Amino acid sequence: MKISVNLLKQLGKIDKSNEEIVTGIKEHIGEVESYQDLSKDYSDIMVAEIKEKKDHPDADKLGVYQLDTGEKKLVQVLAGDKTLVVGDKVAYLKPGAKVPYTIYTEEKPFIIQSREMRGLLSDGMMGSEKELNLGNDHTIVMRLPDDAPVGKPFAEYYELDDFIIDVENKALTNRGDLFGILGLARELTVIFGKPFVTPAWYTDDTKNLREEQSCLGLNIINDAEALCPRYTAIAMDNIVVEESPLWLKSALIKFGYKPINNIVDITNYISQLSGQPLHAFDYDKVISNDPNKSETANITIRMARAGESILGLDSKVHELNDRIMVICDSTNPLAIAGIMGGSETEVDNNTQRIILESANFDKTSIRKTSMMLGLTTDAGTKFKHALDPNQCIPVLKEAVRMIKESTTGTISSDIVDLYPTISEPREITLSLSNVNTHLGIDLQKDTIVQILKNLEYPIVKQDDDLLTVLAPTWRKDVTIKEDIHEDIGRIYGYNNIDSILPLRNLIPAKDNQIFALKKKIRQIFADSGANETDTHSFTDIPTLEKANLDADKAYKLKNALAPELSLMRTSLIPSLLVKTQMNLQEGYDKFILFEMNIPHIQGYEDENKLPKEDWHLSSVITSIEKRSDSAYYIAKRYLEKILSTLNIQDIEYTLLSEFSEENLSEEIKNSMYMFDRNTSAIVTAGDIVLGIIGEIDNKVKGNFKLPKYTAGLDININALNSIDIKNNKYTEMPKYPESRVDLCVEVNNDIQYKALYDSIYKDINNDDINGKVTCLDIYKESEKADTKRITFSLAIRNFEKTLNDKDIKSITQKVIKRLESNFQAKII
Amino acid sequence: MDNNLEKIQVQLQKDIDLPYDELKTKYISTNGLLTLAMKAIASIPNDQKAAYGKGINQLKNSVTELLDQKKNQSLIYSPNNRIDPTAPFDVNTPKNDRPQVWDIKGTKHPLHKEVEKLVEIFQRMGFDVMESKQMDDDYHMFESLNFPVGHPARDMYDTFWTEDGFVLPAHTSTMQNRALKQSNPPIRVVLPGRVFRHEATDASHGHTFYQMEGIYVDKGISLANMKATIKTFLEAYLETDLEVRIQPSFFPFTEPDCEFVISCPFCNKTGCSTCGHSGWIELMGCGMIHPNVLTQGGIDPEIYSGFAWGFGVDRLTMIKLAINDIRYLRDSNLNFLRQF
Repeated sequence: MKISVNLLKQLGKIDKSNEEIVTGIKEHIGEVESYQDLSKDYSDIMVAEIKEKKDHPDADKLGVYQLDTGEKKLVQVLAGDKTLVVGDKVAYLKPGAKVPYTIYTEEKPFIIQSREMRGLLSDGMMGSEKELNLGNDHTIVMRLPDDAPVGKPFAEYYELDDFIIDVENKALTNRGDLFGILGLARELTVIFGKPFVTPAWYTDDTKNLREEQSCLGLNIINDAEALCPRYTAIAMDNIVVEESPLWLKSALIKFGYKPINNIVDITNYISQLSGQPLHAFDYDKVISNDPNKSETANITIRMARAGESILGLDSKVHELNDRIMVICDSTNPLAIAGIMGGSETEVDNNTQRIILESANFDKTSIRKTSMMLGLTTDAGTKFKHALDPNQCIPVLKEAVRMIKESTTGTISSDIVDLYPTISEPREITLSLSNVNTHLGIDLQKDTIVQILKNLEYPIVKQDDDLLTVLAPTWRKDVTIKEDIHEDIGRIYGYNNIDSILPLRNLIPAKDNQIFALKKKIRQIFADSGANETDTHSFTDIPTLEKANLDADKAYKLKNALAPELSLMRTSLIPSLLVKTQMNLQEGYDKFILFEMNIPHIQGYEDENKLPKEDWHLSSVITSIEKRSDSAYYIAKRYLEKILSTLNIQDIEYTLLSEFSEENLSEEIKNSMYMFDRNTSAIVTAGDIVLGIIGEIDNKVKGNFKLPKYTAGLDININALNSIDIKNNKYTEMPKYPESRVDLCVEVNNDIQYKALYDSIYKDINNDDINGKVTCLDIYKESEKADTKRITFSLAIRNFEKTLNDKDIKSITQKVIKRLESNFQAKII
Repeated sequence: MDNNLEKIQVQLQKDIDLPYDELKTKYISTNGLLTLAMKAIASIPNDQKAAYGKGINQLKNSVTELLDQKKNQSLIYSPNNRIDPTAPFDVNTPKNDRPQVWDIKGTKHPLHKEVEKLVEIFQRMGFDVMESKQMDDDYHMFESLNFPVGHPARDMYDTFWTEDGFVLPAHTSTMQNRALKQSNPPIRVVLPGRVFRHEATDASHGHTFYQMEGIYVDKGISLANMKATIKTFLEAYLETDLEVRIQPSFFPFTEPDCEFVISCPFCNKTGCSTCGHSGWIELMGCGMIHPNVLTQGGIDPEIYSGFAWGFGVDRLTMIKLAINDIRYLRDSNLNFLRQF
């Protein structure tokens, strides 16, 4: 929303510097996107007249002009535009002047210098519309009106000695009234401590315009009352369409509009002034285009029908549907309500009669239409922020007044006003003590009342603490007392409010176990040489399929940014595989990436029917060294590092190919195919399935170009958190020295290490003795051998005495006997 | 049965020994025999369509059955190829090669390190922690936050939606309603989490980033309390005294709505690249919780009031660590990760 400070001052009688106004807006209204001092932008630019014209002797494309710039001597300027003739008035940029357009588009503004062009000196430049930042044309030099006074500073002549502030629209989202300069002038006046008086024309809603001359038929039917609370219009005759006067063109340029002709410019000007969009139709075109020939202009507001379309003022055809409101003749759409007029009834240079529309449309409908059609217009932006229907008539009348003033226009119909439900000001009661508590301030009643009066809230009733006011109908955002608290706080100034810490009781904050667990894991993993990553939740079908994942299990985005970001990932592992490959290419040859985040599996929902969100710890470990052992064991080593640090015991590892599939969770059923079934394991703690670890499937490794020694780990942190961690109590430490025995056991391949370990452990831990078991070696004669040999080292102590050889032997015998009978083990 | 279908059926019998993956490609990939035969139904004359469809179904059942069989078979390996998952290391692994924790530089992700620090400060101040969801519904993302359907403020958030109608939260405020319902006042909770915005990515914008929401609800809570709480937290985090300003802003879920601005901690208001040479940094949106939001959260706004805020953790991390491109945070390049 661009505003001119000159106009603001004129409306609000604000006597402040530009800087104070900018600060005032920032601190009391909303964010300022940018501001510019136009007079500075146009310094050293003058009105000049062409006195002589010659061709360049050495360059066909250049014209050589002598300019009268108001100085005694003529100035020679060369230009690519050879269409200029003697007597043309132009904007002359002296050497040293900045090209206005480049001030905001380039890092450093382009500064004009005297320079030679093919042997002749060009002592400055003549500006195009674009270079002067006044339009888009950059092909020719901009011509000024014939009466432009030679030698006058261009900014002054063009009324550009102004300060333009661009207020961020987002900050005004709920303030439809601030999409007009009038509304902003009201706010600023009050901010600077003065009461604002709305101009009388803005509140005069009497329908006191009467037709003056020819009577033009104007018949309007509103078939969309729910979305068009008010529709007002009037017909005018004897219009002369011409170029707008300079002040109006200049004003529009400052608002960011392109001047078109006096009628369109007046509607745009008033729209920007009041915030109420207006539209002018060519009356004769409305009548002649109507398939039902009639002397009267018949206008209907209705929803469009499927299949209808309209050629807009943007020269594009817009396909309509039954959710789009349109302004129609007896049959066809003439305009997209509240957004854009149609080109078939556009006001042009031949227009003599017009219909002027000032209407109110539903903000939601306008917003949806604008989104559906991908059409952002100034009128649409204003309507979608909710406007006051009570301003329709006053604004219409003001436009009529201006048109009459600028052309020979006459009023040719009564005002048509379809306004079934009048918008009444809302009565709101506030408590003064409540205002002070809510804001944390201590304002006297008088101050509060004064602020509200200045903002034009009529006071209905007041007693000691309660104050009843009427919210003006232009304040669509004010519906509850807190909205008025905000007005008071805003006007008083948030920066005048002290900082006061709240007092709180000593109840300790709750512990978030998952967050705390993630923190611990992060620490352990980082301390163990792993690097934490944070990768995107989005993925695509090829990536999932490369990782052997079923892309149908992924939630699909309806509005993805790109095809490669179209699915929600069902596992973190593929992201890590991609990043692993990237870092291998970077030259890292041995590393561990991990991430803690949430994968989503379609249909896997929580008790509220929302996608189930369990936290996962996922990791990929890789090394390019040639190793003969399975990478499974490095993944296991890392998992055990975490588990042992967390004091989690009794974990079981079951080979993936041996785990019964019906016991698997949805998550593991989804992710298991990423892992090699022969060299991966499901990790469980009792009934709780924690996750899966092991070698990445060979095909997947191939797809991601990963080395053979690549393992993955995927643990459900929520499951991990559900394990009861035993708080071990102290047990007596053995005082007597330990005795060591090594034991080499040969067993069939299918006997698992842990079975042997548990058997031994059990036999050396009881009331009398305490023992530790470690693995020294696991040996297999050849790959095809049916047996393997495992060498254990047993460290045994007795609580009461030092063990002698006989004791050791008897303990060992017991161990061996059990191994022999339970596992057909051979002791080597 | 159609000739072509019969041919495929015969071929299937011959292919019975093919491995699972090859079978899958040959029959049910985009150009698979079965897929093509199914597509061909369009060109079958109408009077034969029913018979053809029946044939296709039979064929489809045979293929599916065979594939299922194969899939289960491929799960069974000879014990000699299997590892013993319960062992501490593989067979015949020399002593020096046994898996050990690697002696290389491990790191926490810089952003999560900052999240931890931020959370710690709030925990010391007595706040609970609740992490934000990454997929949510319209009610929590919009409706419970006083964004009625069709409200223009919904445009402020360029939101991703899934085809099933779930929303990817564009702000951690999606957790406010849950936090309010979780317990009775006093409620003090911070809500960190990953959020998504449907916008083009550049050095300072990502479609994915982290936010941290906070809410404080109790009797008599004021805007002055909000100012002090956020200031106190920021001073603890940035380890310096700050000047703060509050500017008006707009959010549907707060009333009043504010923007929290701090004096630049890096140049002491003299102007530097971090603050865009203005001396001030706009850090976060905040405000007094809208009564409708409290009501939706089961809290009586006539008795209680509260404030809320939300800020981008990526931006704060970038400011603190002088990271000049937000994309580095998600890129997982070890050259980057190992700097922290």
